[in-house]
Amino acid sequence: MHDPWTERLSEYLDEELPAAELVALEQHLAGCDACRAVLEELRAVAAIAAGSTASPPTRDLWPDIARRIGVDSAAVVPIAGRRPPPRFSFTVPQLAAAAVVLMMLSGGGVWLATTGGGPGRGVATAPARTEAGNPPAQLAASESPGYESAIADLELALADRRDRLDTATVRVLERSLATIDGAIAEARAAVERDPANPYLHRHLDGAMKKKMDILRRAVTVRRAGT
Amino acid sequence: MATLAYDTPLARTADPDAEDAARAAAGDAAAFERIYRRHCARIHSLARRMIGAADADEATQDVFVRTWQKLGLFRGDALFGTWLYRLAINVLLGRRGAAAKYQERNAGGDPTVLPLATRPDRIDLRVDFEQAVELLPPGARQVFVLHDVEGYTHEEIAELMGVSAGTSKSQLHRARMTLRQYLA
Repeated sequence: MHDPWTERLSEYLDEELPAAELVALEQHLAGCDACRAVLEELRAVAAIAAGSTASPPTRDLWPDIARRIGVDSAAVVPIAGRRPPPRFSFTVPQLAAAAVVLMMLSGGGVWLATTGGGPGRGVATAPARTEAGNPPAQLAASESPGYESAIADLELALADRRDRLDTATVRVLERSLATIDGAIAEARAAVERDPANPYLHRHLDGAMKKKMDILRRAVTVRRAGT
Repeated sequence: MATLAYDTPLARTADPDAEDAARAAAGDAAAFERIYRRHCARIHSLARRMIGAADADEATQDVFVRTWQKLGLFRGDALFGTWLYRLAINVLLGRRGAAAKYQERNAGGDPTVLPLATRPDRIDLRVDFEQAVELLPPGARQVFVLHDVEGYTHEEIAELMGVSAGTSKSQLHRARMTLRQYLA
């Protein structure tokens, strides 16, 4: 293949060609069967690579690692009864939809954090503080150990399964979780500034619930097509 | 023990590895084993693809030993997994010598020409593809794995490998053009 445009097909595939060359290459592709065929083959190679899954080593490397770092592997409490995690995955559209939801949630968090609430939030709606100056208990559900614990359990369950996901999916998922964690952080900061505000507590609760929903779906959704 | 930046309830909520990383940094080997269990498949696959199956076990051990040594440097600026993979790539790229030896052992002629006697069945395609990736020239293989498998940009790869983004692009194209032969 000596067509000079062939050397630019990967850049075209990755949408990295300058606009002028993009137009010229597309004009060339319209009349060149050979370049179109190569382009489709390159696309297939990239697709297979993106769908590559991780597989564990054929033997347990931990005992050797433990020895090398000066730890007696036999003395380390074994992770007993570990069951092989069920196979699962997400489709990219599912994760993209989750990311959109989380982006909206994050935006709401920013708005609440910067405005201290929303229009129509009158002083009269603010609940009375407890004697200790803390917000009533029902407003602090998101701060309860049970809530944190449930999220932590789900995160661990997801972490156990992440090796089954392809790299691109994990990166999308990490970005999505980072987004909602940002929203939670913003909501917490807003609550700290105005702890008696019921709207902020509800917003924080909502953010935590959203994260739980995403994590729960992540650990239970079945692989597409199975 | 001093409180680490990532050793907070919020950090632990955001990053499933953060609490174990904090414990491991304080010498808790069980916590470090949990980190190993969670990430060993991805690290081993990365090693196998970047430097070859023959050296993947040893390289994976190297990565986790280096991680143990460097845990005190993790400050939670990124997810622990992101930090770990970056460290792993640096360790693996530092093994260019091993990769070159592997290439020499396995690819005796022109490493970019790997004829297949017959077109592989669909079910075997992925296995053959993985084998083909291992036989690419080291530079093209590493760029291909980092870009098309791991999702790094050419600018990130250029920084990691100490080459220009243009070199990264040309190596990627070279790798894809070679691998496409397996789909023909």
